[in-house]
Amino acid sequence: MTFGAMAAWQAWLLLAGAAALAAGLFFIRLKPPRMLVPSILVWSRVLDDLRQQTLWERIRRAVSLVLTVLIALALALAAVRPGRVADGGGRSVGRLLVVLDASWSMEAGTRGGESRWDRAVAEARRLFTAASGAEMTLATTAEGLVEGPTTDLALIETALERSRPGGGDADAWPRLAGATAVHFVTDGATARQLDPDVVVHSVFEPAPNVGITALAVRPSLSPANAGDAYLEIGNFSDAAQKIRLRITRGATEVLDRELDAAPSELLRQVLPIPRGGDPSLTVKIEAPRNELAADDEAFAWVGRARPLTVLVVGSQTQWLRAAFERDPDVRAAFLDPSGYRTPAARAENGPDVIIFDRWAPSEPPAIPALLFAPPPSTAWLSSGAASGLAAAAEERAPKWDVPGTHPVVEGVDPFTLTVDRARAYSSPALTPVAQSAHGTPLVYVAEASNRRLVVVTFSINESNLTAAPGFPVLLGNAVDWLAHPVLFAAQPGDGDTLRGVHRPGLTAFSGIVTKVTGPGAAEIPLTRVAQTAFAHLRRPGIYTAEGGGARGAFAVNLADPQLSNLTRSSPGPKGRVMTVAAGAAGSPWWVYFAVIAFALGVAEWWTWQRRITV
Amino acid sequence: MSLRFDDQFLKKLEYLHVVSKRAFAGHNRADRLTAHRGRGLEFADHRPYTAGDDFRHIDWKAYKRLGRLLLRLFDEERDLPIYLMLDVSRSMAEPAKFDMARRIAAALCYIGLVHLDKLTILPFGRGLGQESSPGRGKGRIFRVFEYLERLEAGGPTDLRASFKEFAARPRQLGLTVIISDFLDPGGFDAGIKILRTLGHDVFVVHITSERDRHPGAFGEVRFVDAETGELREVEVTPRLASAYIKAWDAHAAELEHFCGRYDVGYVRADAERPFEDVVLKAFRQGRFVA
Repeated sequence: MTFGAMAAWQAWLLLAGAAALAAGLFFIRLKPPRMLVPSILVWSRVLDDLRQQTLWERIRRAVSLVLTVLIALALALAAVRPGRVADGGGRSVGRLLVVLDASWSMEAGTRGGESRWDRAVAEARRLFTAASGAEMTLATTAEGLVEGPTTDLALIETALERSRPGGGDADAWPRLAGATAVHFVTDGATARQLDPDVVVHSVFEPAPNVGITALAVRPSLSPANAGDAYLEIGNFSDAAQKIRLRITRGATEVLDRELDAAPSELLRQVLPIPRGGDPSLTVKIEAPRNELAADDEAFAWVGRARPLTVLVVGSQTQWLRAAFERDPDVRAAFLDPSGYRTPAARAENGPDVIIFDRWAPSEPPAIPALLFAPPPSTAWLSSGAASGLAAAAEERAPKWDVPGTHPVVEGVDPFTLTVDRARAYSSPALTPVAQSAHGTPLVYVAEASNRRLVVVTFSINESNLTAAPGFPVLLGNAVDWLAHPVLFAAQPGDGDTLRGVHRPGLTAFSGIVTKVTGPGAAEIPLTRVAQTAFAHLRRPGIYTAEGGGARGAFAVNLADPQLSNLTRSSPGPKGRVMTVAAGAAGSPWWVYFAVIAFALGVAEWWTWQRRITV
Repeated sequence: MSLRFDDQFLKKLEYLHVVSKRAFAGHNRADRLTAHRGRGLEFADHRPYTAGDDFRHIDWKAYKRLGRLLLRLFDEERDLPIYLMLDVSRSMAEPAKFDMARRIAAALCYIGLVHLDKLTILPFGRGLGQESSPGRGKGRIFRVFEYLERLEAGGPTDLRASFKEFAARPRQLGLTVIISDFLDPGGFDAGIKILRTLGHDVFVVHITSERDRHPGAFGEVRFVDAETGELREVEVTPRLASAYIKAWDAHAAELEHFCGRYDVGYVRADAERPFEDVVLKAFRQGRFVA
């Protein structure tokens, strides 16, 4: 037997002390009041007679003493948290690392009523208890090292109670320097490459499930629709099931129907999403044989559900009015410079993008802005340079002969564009993305956490911009780049992020992102490493990220057939896999000892009630 | 507390006399008839005259009628030896009990003194205490009162040892009255049997009180024996209190039955009962006084 709360010798000492104390208190109890009587002759006769009449009265005091000592022992045992020394434990381990698989599939239920996660936690508890005295570390595949290295089992216990499944990458693997034994408790739903010395404890048990395996909104061919929602539902069960499907858009239910799913069938549906309405889409399913709840709900963000709002500020902006009139995804408003007031920050119903035509405000806008030939005297565009520099950087008839690769100029044909005059701006925040053959910038971009700008250094009066084929491309690129900043820092090989699919777990954001808000408007803490901000998105839902003066929303879903299929497992190499028995997630021993102590207390109370003498 | 009786009660007592089932002859002349023939007032019988008889007792009228010399015989009247054995153990220390016991002793003394009986008061506890013989005549009652008022209760009870000690000294047979609560852990039967075996006419006055008959408290109590100091911790429940009352009644009934079986007079005197009621009614009903 091992003891979780203290060393074995301390625990045994405590047990012996508790028993002795209880026995002592049993005999040294509070004395009742004295009463002088002429003789106790009759009392002795009465009591002796009663004792002789019943066996119970003869043994009651001894029973009461035994019960008192047992109560003390049970309470002491509950306090020292005993455990069984089991095979596979790390009793002789110097530094033990137990890794819990935090995949969402671990939330699946089992036939015993417990979840795979409960079973895994019980197995981890058993391993730690068996290794009492060694340095112990708890880790999960979602959060890495959670607690330790420590010899304090109480800390590990607290961490175990705190931990929950949270996804995590298949490649993510916590490492502990100097670990002499590594145990991995998993259901094998997520295939992993494991080191050969890792001992795998499998909590896998096949379970039927129904889950949403895909939900994505794609551009629609119909101009009346904001997009088409692609939905995929899998029945990972060996029996046909009726699946209830409900789709809501914002708070409005748009679909509620029952689907018949054959065994192992994937149901696919494409739903057109009309323009207008709430951009958030929620899909929920219900089915009778469904052991995993996490994949029963999926979310989508319909970005084109509402048109972009563009504010055009300038004196002669007819050329832009004609450009935006034909775009259903943009709603433009026009304003004379005299009526412009610099907004302090982006308002909820304010414009997404501001376009300044041959004019610039005295203060840099907090909202993403596209500027066409701003006056060279604009202070915030020429800051950091001598006053005469702007004029000196002007170039007549510049040639744009190298196509750009930046998203703003990507696809713009430079050869059909004729520019009479372009001027350079000296602000160090500006980065040229298109230049003339002599190096004069033709298009600048500026990207910071609080500001995004696109500056075109020539005006329509000084070029054939409105007639050039590249004009709508340049305008569309610029507005799209300004309104939809790249919020995610996609890594090479990160196909999900590149496809716009986001899953719960550690997510990398672009460095310009300043704030991430989760479901329920809860702000997600950001951790910055170099030019990347990391946030732990713990559960599916609609999230928003803010940066560069813009705000973008995105959906986080499980939506993974590998995860929803609870009948498969690939726990690890044979010979290194130990199966965790069902029921392992039962309450730890101390709970039983506490219950026993209570029951003994009741029994002692009963003997006290049944006493004649004490 | 003063044990003195008022004159009215003393008058009532003078009409009583202690009844003994057997006739015991004392050494002194008194008004109690004995089985002996002698110089008394009551004619008993005739017997033929033999030489040496006192010719003054010859019944001349019978000689004239029968022609034979016959002597007139009279019942001799002597005093009755009465031994009042008063329990002065610690269990009698309760004022109500001890007063009742001493007043009974005083009343019996007065009745005896009035009838010129030979009285001996013997306090006892673990053994016999200093005995007292007040003498003859009712005027001696004040010495009795003084003596009884000086007595104090203390020490354990041992009836057997006390009565054995009583038997160790040669005494005239007579009426032995035991005034006690009979709460002797060693039992009461052996002591009473000793007195019976000696040939005394034994009479038991059983002094009881409310504290003897009832537990007196409920809940958890440490009862302390007044005589031995022995402790018994008892949780007095209603059920247990009822069992105690039954046990005490059984104890009293056992004493009464024992007395009945061995021809020992028994009267129970509850301390709470009016004293005059005990002496004038209970003692009469028990045929102890007439």
